[in-house]
Amino acid sequence: MMPTSLLPTTVVGSWPVPEWLERLKTDWFRSRMSRTQLDGVHDCAVTAAIKDQELTGLDIVTDGELRRDNDVDYLLARIPGIAIPQPAKDFYYDYYDARVRTSPVAPVPPDDAGLGLDADLAFTRARTDRPVKFSLTGPFSLAHRVSDTVHDDPAELVRAIARVLGGVAGALRDAGADVLQIDEPFLAGYPEQVGLAVEAINIVTRDVGTTGRDVTWALHVCYGNRYARPLWEGHYDFLFPAVLDAHVDQLVLEFARKGDEDLPVIARSGWDRALGLGVIDVKSHTVETPELVAARIHRALDLVPAERLVINPDCGLRHLPTAVATAKLRAMVEGTARVREKLASSESPPTRTRRRRNGRSGPATTDTPLDTLPDAPTTETSAETSTDDRTTASLAPAPGASL
Amino acid sequence: MLVDFRPHARLRNRKTPVTVTDSLGPVMDALSESATDLSRVRVVCDWVQYKQNFRDVVEVRPILSSTPDAPLPEGVRDDDLEVAVDVRRAAGVDLRATTRAALETRETPDVVLEDWGPTRESCIWGFNALYWTALEQWEKATGQAYEQALPGGESDARNHDAARGVIRELFTVWDGLADRGALPPELYVVEIGVGNGAQARVFLDELRELDVEHGRGYYRRLHYLMCDYSPHVLDLARETVAEHAEHAEHVSSFVMDACKPRSVLAFLQFRVFLIYISNVYDNLPTDEVAQLGGRTYLVESRAFLPAADAAEIAASVNARPDQLGGLVHALLRLGPTLLAEARPDHVSSPEDAVEFWRRTWSAVRLAERYAGLAGLDTYELSPTVNGEALRPLLESGADVRMHVSNGAVASFTETIGLLHPFGKLVCHDLFARDVGAYRTGFRGPGKYDGSVVNWVNGPLLAHIGRRRGFDVSYAPFAHRTGTNIVTMTAQVRD
Repeated sequence: MMPTSLLPTTVVGSWPVPEWLERLKTDWFRSRMSRTQLDGVHDCAVTAAIKDQELTGLDIVTDGELRRDNDVDYLLARIPGIAIPQPAKDFYYDYYDARVRTSPVAPVPPDDAGLGLDADLAFTRARTDRPVKFSLTGPFSLAHRVSDTVHDDPAELVRAIARVLGGVAGALRDAGADVLQIDEPFLAGYPEQVGLAVEAINIVTRDVGTTGRDVTWALHVCYGNRYARPLWEGHYDFLFPAVLDAHVDQLVLEFARKGDEDLPVIARSGWDRALGLGVIDVKSHTVETPELVAARIHRALDLVPAERLVINPDCGLRHLPTAVATAKLRAMVEGTARVREKLASSESPPTRTRRRRNGRSGPATTDTPLDTLPDAPTTETSAETSTDDRTTASLAPAPGASL
Repeated sequence: MLVDFRPHARLRNRKTPVTVTDSLGPVMDALSESATDLSRVRVVCDWVQYKQNFRDVVEVRPILSSTPDAPLPEGVRDDDLEVAVDVRRAAGVDLRATTRAALETRETPDVVLEDWGPTRESCIWGFNALYWTALEQWEKATGQAYEQALPGGESDARNHDAARGVIRELFTVWDGLADRGALPPELYVVEIGVGNGAQARVFLDELRELDVEHGRGYYRRLHYLMCDYSPHVLDLARETVAEHAEHAEHVSSFVMDACKPRSVLAFLQFRVFLIYISNVYDNLPTDEVAQLGGRTYLVESRAFLPAADAAEIAASVNARPDQLGGLVHALLRLGPTLLAEARPDHVSSPEDAVEFWRRTWSAVRLAERYAGLAGLDTYELSPTVNGEALRPLLESGADVRMHVSNGAVASFTETIGLLHPFGKLVCHDLFARDVGAYRTGFRGPGKYDGSVVNWVNGPLLAHIGRRRGFDVSYAPFAHRTGTNIVTMTAQVRD
């Protein structure tokens, strides 16, 4: 695995879906193409997307979620106990009308725990030597797309799905994921339920970090990107303090479209782990300049130290034309590089600490070389050192911000 | 030979009796007597209901077989030409002689106003734009306000019940957002195509009154944006709204091309709770596409003045017929007032220029031909939508000719991008509600006073809206009977 640097760059998850791929995906849902043919198309598209990400200079890549019909159904339809009465679609991106048949339980035998997503991950892992991020829609959002007459308490469905996703996450870890990201696109619409969402996230992550190889956990919360439109409006203050209890290493949030007025919210909330900083507006076809990206990063650096920042777009790139998306990402990579250079010219030698994903109560640790995280063991320190002064930041990212 | 008799319902209509024998017999005779390869011809009959329109009773439309960069599929029809008959006007015409003449014409004596091209680029849209920008002069010459030219004599936009219904729905949405602390401080409502301002006035009056009852202070936060292409119309609307002094501080007005609402309103992206559009889409530029015998064509057109009309018009402005093209384009570029200044040798006053405009507009016709489309994706439907959006409407393979409603598509796609996640677009217009409507009835273009009218392709807008995450529904206009007006509603799905 190649080393990453300070301010690692990545995508949130999805890659542009070209019109021809939309046609072919829709053809499958309308029984005009075989599954075998579509799988072949997906293999080619994913391979190309990985290469495109590498060419734009991203440090951490994904499969572009190109096999998925949308952010929900690809996963939801695989969960035992979820029924899809009408699996045909007029357009591939439409949502199924899903319902709960029986309370979801993890599949038996355990080899099937990955629900096939581990095979997707393995395909990606085999096609790049860069760190791989894999995203899965979180239990809270999945549960909100299902009609449930089985559970008396809707929260039980969220928890049941979370337990299944815990198994999926373990399989993804074993298949070579470096970053596992939980997406909760619907959470902003139900701010009063953030506690339940965090509880479910902790069910998903509970066993993954304690056995086998380690992974970095990210949580992505946005205001929606369905058809390139926001689903909700509001501010991220609803996440706190509940999200401080989430066992994740990164919060991946949107700031480019909404502006950075929520950054102080994050800074004063007590969030001391990594922040995935959205610097690219995915709802606009206007390509940001490297200067604008750099300015956005610098504004964030006033509040969050560099070693805790990951640089990414606001959300998935699915709805952008490929040429626009790649131009935006090139600007993002170049803008980030300029900030790195500036930091490098003013930095003192690195020594810093970090917190682990279990947050405020977690032990502080020193940095480890970038190319060995997360597999290499970390060294505990006896004392906590401030990470809030970016002038003391190293060129190495914090664990949640690195691999 | 293929015959498509679209207004078949007229065959059983006692009020307007039509027979196949009368409508088609002479046409068939003329075709049989000609050198036309009858295996490669199609005959279509329409009932062109607009008394002022762009068609002759019989037209011959070439079908261009060559499609650059695309192989000709096997097993499809490859016709040479289409003969089109306007059944409504056929009764008083010697169809046999007219058809024979149309088939034999090679060198046209008519005055051609432009080259072949997509209909949306035709100069008829220049006339249409001129009508709205110089409406005051047109109205002065005709002696009637444009609303009187509308069917029924007025816009459908001033219904109090309709306004109250929409406002109550808005209050429900705003209440919900306010309860969650997510209601923005400014509440935007946009109206595109403001007519004489009656809709704005009714809406503001009703909202103010209902807000007093409701008691949550929404009127105070309201911003009502009136947008129209015509400065004259916008002036009238402002006067209407200003009759209530309190409304003035809540209303802004913008001269705006309805095809490019973002050029003025981009700052409102995702912020508008209600967009109201009335009788606008049917007046925006459009192409037509046709699925004929398994192939897809773009209808290309070319505006012309029939020779006899051209001779009369030329004489009236002291010009030769071959000078008319230049005069027409000068009129469309300059408007009547400046034309009188620039070409006093032809029109000595603005009034003369308006008269020239009206006579030319009355005479102008569209010749048509079919040009093969190499691929739907290569056809630009609007700046952000390509022809792939037409695929679901054409994929049955059955013959159909339909509007593409380019201007409406551009306006619609840009406009829904302004909507707040809980916003709604309400549009009253002439919509074809299913593709089948194009197979049974003529949907334009026609002339309404000095403007162009085409029915809007409802299924296309619904499909495009759906692919952008909106539910788009159509219903008959609920507040007046006996109208063709349809209400389209678009709201975010999921």
